[in-house]
Amino acid sequence: MSTTWTQKHRPQTLNEIVGNKEAKQQFLNWLKSWNKGIPKKRAALLHGPPGIGKTVTVEASAKELKMELVEKNASDYRTADAIKRFAGLASQYGTLFGGKRLILLDEMDGVSGRDDRGGVRELTKVLKDTRSPVVLTANDAYDPRFKTIRKYCLIIPFKNPTVRETVSHLKRICAKEGIETDEEALKFIAERSARDVRSAVNDLQALAQGKTRLVKEDVAWLAGRDRNEVIFDVLRTIMYSKDSWEAKKAVSSSDLDPDMLFNWIYENTPYHLTDPHDLVKAMDYLALADIYRKRIRDTQYWTLLRYVVDFMSSGVAVSRQRSKSSGWIPFRFPEKIRMLSRTKGERALRTSIGMKIRNRCHISATRSAKEVMPYLKIIFENNPEMAAGLSDWLDLDEDMIEYLAGNKKQTKTIISKLE
Amino acid sequence: MSYEMWAEKYRPKSLSKIINQKEIVDRLQSFVKAKNVPHCIFAGPPGTGKTTAALCLARDLYGTGYREHLMELNASDERGIKMVRETVKTFARTRSIGEIPFKILILDEADNMTSDAQQALRRTMERFTETCRFIMIANYSGKIIEPLQSRCAPFRFSYMSKEDQDRYLRHIIEEENIKILDEGYDAIFEVSEGDLRKATNALQAAASMGKVIDPETVYSVIGRANPADVNEMIKTAMKGDFLEARKQLREMILKYGVAGSDIIKQIHTEIFRSMLPDSWKVTLSEAIGEIDFRLVQGADVEVQLSALLARLTEAGQELSRGG
Repeated sequence: MSTTWTQKHRPQTLNEIVGNKEAKQQFLNWLKSWNKGIPKKRAALLHGPPGIGKTVTVEASAKELKMELVEKNASDYRTADAIKRFAGLASQYGTLFGGKRLILLDEMDGVSGRDDRGGVRELTKVLKDTRSPVVLTANDAYDPRFKTIRKYCLIIPFKNPTVRETVSHLKRICAKEGIETDEEALKFIAERSARDVRSAVNDLQALAQGKTRLVKEDVAWLAGRDRNEVIFDVLRTIMYSKDSWEAKKAVSSSDLDPDMLFNWIYENTPYHLTDPHDLVKAMDYLALADIYRKRIRDTQYWTLLRYVVDFMSSGVAVSRQRSKSSGWIPFRFPEKIRMLSRTKGERALRTSIGMKIRNRCHISATRSAKEVMPYLKIIFENNPEMAAGLSDWLDLDEDMIEYLAGNKKQTKTIISKLE
Repeated sequence: MSYEMWAEKYRPKSLSKIINQKEIVDRLQSFVKAKNVPHCIFAGPPGTGKTTAALCLARDLYGTGYREHLMELNASDERGIKMVRETVKTFARTRSIGEIPFKILILDEADNMTSDAQQALRRTMERFTETCRFIMIANYSGKIIEPLQSRCAPFRFSYMSKEDQDRYLRHIIEEENIKILDEGYDAIFEVSEGDLRKATNALQAAASMGKVIDPETVYSVIGRANPADVNEMIKTAMKGDFLEARKQLREMILKYGVAGSDIIKQIHTEIFRSMLPDSWKVTLSEAIGEIDFRLVQGADVEVQLSALLARLTEAGQELSRGG
């Protein structure tokens, strides 16, 4: 009972691994090609999101082809020395007992570019000359750190299995565990895990272990407690507990992204701390938290994060002194985030118009937004002929003209006057 | 029919055509005559002809092909050390072909350069003096580090006299056949506060309406060209409506692209003009200064400025209680 289901029901054969049919086949073909001599690419790089079967594919393949699997993961091969040590393994194909060897370097994302640079260089050498097949796994194969490594590898992408494939895997486990299931319940788990099979299996174990039947009602409570609910709880504690410890605890136990949480607190504070005196204190603490966020971004000293948390939780909580609670006020989605995404296109357009103005008017794109663009807008709204002439002179495209003219009709008029 | 922005169309093309800054122009012309230019700093308020003087100097020096010997960089757009390391160095190190052995690099809005970038410029300026001369343009020469200042000949540009501005604007009005009332003309003068670019842009926008320009047209143009109504935002906050004020702030920043430094500068000016008791003015000024500094360090504009808005809300409440 003590083992996790992800271990207990780990696929043993390639067939048991759901999804990624092509990737599995491609990998197997490459391994088999070693029997006919050393192939052009002596290493393979399996990449894709976590929990979808990259490592398991390697393990199952080794088993099927009766190869000895030598496994290293991120913690083992960080330095050049460590790589050299294992390079010996790679120098010969056969093992002492006549079998064949497959070397797996798992979780390549864990290799740090800066600290392990020597390691990556050494590894590149190994991949070039290895006489045994080497497999690497990574979440992001296009990480610049892997640039040189990539050249020596056969790149095999792994994708998330479909919901149906994930469900079939869960079903197999339930059958083995003797649990009767409802298709809907499994589908729900699969969807919730965003098709990360490993996490779906973990969820399944949490929900179904010890049961003989699993139905939709058993899993439905997962939905009721979604992320927003957690955020609202934290906000409520911060705004109303007046207790620095409670507020801090609410944040640290919530496991929410601090940046996102900051935006929620910043948005909602003025709705709840209505007394100006309280508000000044709270906003000052939030501004201070913002300073520390900036310091972290600049220095990457993540230990400073604790102060961000202090200021945005306890700081706001203790600011409540005079504000009266005025009944129930709903929490609001951060308007800043909404507006940032809504104005994204507009801001990009404004920058590109700014660049065009800069080319002509000897003024920075930044300053042109304030000193030239507003006048251009007035001209474009009122005088299509002059607008057409200026569009030509500034070399504006249709989107830019429309931004300045403000509507489609005027844009058309201006464009008709071009050329 | 072809159109340009009038501020460009009527920008003088030669030092001899510049109507103001007589002493500066004289000295620049002597550089042209000697075919030698030192590194320069042009400092002074906006719209007083700094960029124009630099461009004219290059034109007079190199003639029609001047573009080949000239590079214009804008520190507001590329203000980091990377700009110095890559763009500036690449341009500065290669020799110019022609009679004059050096090129000219105009660094506009140089007071916006980070101090790192300015430090990096120090050696670049010295090492490549043979092949490149720098003209740094800034509103405040004080924001340029001492070691750079000491390597440059300083030129201080001042506001144009009313007569000079008048001559320039009258010329445009005549050339473009603009119908404008005397009161409208006065209004342009009033709103542009000595900034000739602003005056010219306002004139062109007003003329684009196709009517005789009267004061109302001018004020409406200026009003629309400044959607960032900082005053309105301050009033809203002092009235006690923090949420509405924060919304206005957000729109200024995200919708109209107004820089945080501009907003805070204006808040600072308005606070001292306001009816607040003196002690409040100083208290607020302290907060404004701190936040200004934080913005320079790269903190979030909206978060920092809303902390200031909260202060204004509080000040407004105190004020209404006291009075």
